[in-house]
Amino acid sequence: MPRSPLQIWWLVPIVAALALPPLLNGYWLHVLSVSWYYAILAASWALLAGYAGQFSFAHMAFAAIGGYASGLLAVDLHLPVPLGILCGIAAAGIVGAAIGWLCLRMRGPYLSLFTLAFALIFQLMLIAEYQFTRGSLGLSVPEIFAGRSDTPYYYTGFVLLLVSLSAMSFLLRSRVGIFLRALREDEDAAEACGIDTALYKILIFTVTSAIAGLAGGFYGHFVGILTPNLVTIPEMGLVVAMAVVGGVESLPGAVVGAVFVYVLSEVLRDTGQMRFVVLGLLIMLTQRYAQNGLWTLALGRGGRFWRRPPPRAVAPEAAAPAVERETNVG
Amino acid sequence: MASQLAAPTALVDARALIKRFGGIRAVDGISLAVQPGELVGLIGPNGSGKTTLINLMSGALVPDGGTIRVGGVVMNGKAAHVFAGHGVARTFQIPRLFRRMTVLENLLAPALTRKSAHGHGTIALRAAEVLTFLRLSHLAHGEARALSGGQQKLLELGRAMMLEPRVFLLDEPFAGVHPKLLGELVERIAELSRRGYTIVLVDHNLDAVRGVVRRLVVMARGRQIADGAPDEVLRSPDVIDAYTGA
Ligand SMILES: Nc1ncnc2c1ncn2[C@@H]1O[C@H](COP(=O)(O)OP(=O)(O)OP(=O)(O)O)[C@@H](O)[C@H]1O
Ligand SMILES: [Mg+2]
Repeated sequence: MPRSPLQIWWLVPIVAALALPPLLNGYWLHVLSVSWYYAILAASWALLAGYAGQFSFAHMAFAAIGGYASGLLAVDLHLPVPLGILCGIAAAGIVGAAIGWLCLRMRGPYLSLFTLAFALIFQLMLIAEYQFTRGSLGLSVPEIFAGRSDTPYYYTGFVLLLVSLSAMSFLLRSRVGIFLRALREDEDAAEACGIDTALYKILIFTVTSAIAGLAGGFYGHFVGILTPNLVTIPEMGLVVAMAVVGGVESLPGAVVGAVFVYVLSEVLRDTGQMRFVVLGLLIMLTQRYAQNGLWTLALGRGGRFWRRPPPRAVAPEAAAPAVERETNVG
Repeated sequence: MASQLAAPTALVDARALIKRFGGIRAVDGISLAVQPGELVGLIGPNGSGKTTLINLMSGALVPDGGTIRVGGVVMNGKAAHVFAGHGVARTFQIPRLFRRMTVLENLLAPALTRKSAHGHGTIALRAAEVLTFLRLSHLAHGEARALSGGQQKLLELGRAMMLEPRVFLLDEPFAGVHPKLLGELVERIAELSRRGYTIVLVDHNLDAVRGVVRRLVVMARGRQIADGAPDEVLRSPDVIDAYTGA
């Protein structure tokens, strides 16, 4: 990644997001506040699937672990909400580490199926253990802020999004970023290069699950009720769609994708089932014409479909004469 | 007695290695001690177990029998990255690059795993040196998947070099390489050997191997059938038999 001197550019969307609430009515304020929840999930899933290549379908289950852990601690033990959310993060991280460990020998579709099965079992458990979770009726959890305004939730969600994005990009800028991508590209080759693939696989499951747990904790105490519907396949599909539409190998891309898709689905709410058709078409079109997502497209880097060689690269054919010349000399 | 005295100094010391796949013994009791600074050629017909032996010596596979030592340490059952950490670098018969990473990033990945990898500046400098050595500098920022087959072989060699290894295990580095680039690659490997690196070189291209190695090991059906100076080995009736498919 070339370091541009234009880092300050990032302040623009941040300032805009901070200035927005007074301009929004209650409905859109709520929509955007929820979209921060999805943005945290989509970005952390992008890190897990897009960077590290672990195409997991258990992400919503980790959000639910964070949400339910925090909610139950608040309800049953009257733990303060922030403390509960921290415990939720820890619980999601620990289960994430365990899933990462169990997935060590699984690759590609096997890992996807395994994590999907885990998510489904977890959802059934939430329904079945109703004496703890209140099952499908839903668990009422205390809200973080008194009063009826969503404004404090908007800011809380946004700050949590910024915090998780900072943590994730810190990880990506360290050498771990290169190791994770190497792991995605070829596990055996990564091992041969001295990369402890087991360690980094468990690490990335732990980190992204903990972040999903944070999102879930925030969401629960925001909307005030948790149901097993959090872990359904359509919910997971929505998060995948957000990351894919925005750009699965880019954290800001996934965030933009999440807000864009969620707002779009709200705009289209009146059209009923039609909105799923529109969203489906959107995914098909980005996959066909801009595999790196709309974000990369917006930055002018193009999708894989019409990819040009990166700026400073020379086409391999052009290299041949140089090699030839040098061989003749030598 | 002589072999027992020689053993502790061997960089990679394989003793009576066995690897079975279902019914077949891909490697069937091979012993191979590679001394520091040696350039050993390893040849044999298709399916004779050369790649399997490389996999055993680099930790990609765990032997079913025998012991594998690196620098005197028994490594049976250790993960491949531990072998890499002990200075064993390997390349793959079919290149396995990090395809959607740049050529430069392919070189940085192994270097960053080293304990000595402190200054990012020194690593970048070494990567630049390796790129110059392999004549790939102009492609540094292109994705690895855009490289030609021969260039991919070169980059794999470069990735191995970035580990600062004690020994290179090169699995058919010449396969599929254009004749023009072949001379280049043979010269690069000979140069590494002159610099004092220890190398095990697997290949079918007898002419290419013969020109650079001083010691040639021949495998057939998982067993070692010859070990010695190239010209002697290639005159041996067993080797001629194996190669003419008796
Ligand atoms: N992962 C595996 N599973 C099952 N059988 C295998 C596996 N790897 C190798 N074999 C078998 O082991 C034997 C030796 O294979 P190996 O790849 O080591 O040969 P090789 O000498 O490298 O051949 P080549 O010159 O064609 O590369 C072959 O019979 C092969 O089919
Ligand atoms: Mg082979």
